[in-house]
Amino acid sequence: MGRIKHEHKNEDVGFQIAPMIDVVFVIMLFFMVKVGARQTETEIKSKLPGSAETSTSVTGMESLEETIVIDENGVIAHNDELLDSGGKKDGDLEQLKARMTRLAEQGRADKSEVVVTVSTQPDTKYSRVADVLNALQFAGIRNMTFSVSEEL
Amino acid sequence: MGGGGGGGEGEPEFQIAPMIDVLLTLLIFFMSITTAQVEAVDKNIHLPVAPDAKERKPNSNQMIVNVKWSNENQKAAFMLDGSKYEDDESLKNALEAKKVGRTNPEVLIRGDRDLQAKEIQKVMNCAAQAGIDNIAFLTVNQAQ
Repeated sequence: MGRIKHEHKNEDVGFQIAPMIDVVFVIMLFFMVKVGARQTETEIKSKLPGSAETSTSVTGMESLEETIVIDENGVIAHNDELLDSGGKKDGDLEQLKARMTRLAEQGRADKSEVVVTVSTQPDTKYSRVADVLNALQFAGIRNMTFSVSEEL
Repeated sequence: MGGGGGGGEGEPEFQIAPMIDVLLTLLIFFMSITTAQVEAVDKNIHLPVAPDAKERKPNSNQMIVNVKWSNENQKAAFMLDGSKYEDDESLKNALEAKKVGRTNPEVLIRGDRDLQAKEIQKVMNCAAQAGIDNIAFLTVNQAQ
């Protein structure tokens, strides 16, 4: 009780700098953490199919052409071979990334240009197409084209 | 050296005023960059995630086509520079008009992740018919 009386005697409480610094530190920490988790826009560049063919012939390099097909349910096939998810979520994408990385390494070793065509059905989800395009970016394959089968 | 003049006053004290200046400057810096990032992303369109894609570098040759998906109508809507286009033909004409004066025009497709691939194909066809070869698919680095 004696302690409370003692505090009441200090009537002229000036501007407290220590709590202000505490608050500023907390706000700054909040924004620093937010910056780390920020969402930024990224881009996957491509050439339209007609012009991509022209560019490969100009370089004079042998081209290694591969096809990835995505059906309307999002099932991925590479050169007519279905990729197995192995029961894992996105297991087929991991497999695709490994295949594309090997393909890119083979292209570098043979000094040939890797051209990948991603073919989808009209009803395929765009997010699934983006997953496949991301796998190509992961492998460093830049020459890719995207086409949608004609509706019947 | 003039700096040595204060040496006789005893131990240097911790200066609170410059520390607050530095703190406030850092605070404003982090506040401004987080705000800028929020403005760059259109919240009405949920872009697909592609963590391995490169960060977008905006330039004056880019034309951004927003493709929104409406779950109610089950229909896509195309937007270019704030104008809405209902059909492919009008989008093609708009792209043709806007590519004039750009040296190496590029169409950036900002499509919703729930879209069907045929809607993206429509934009690509419009770009091709408008004589634009360079396209890019816009994505985000991480889901929110």
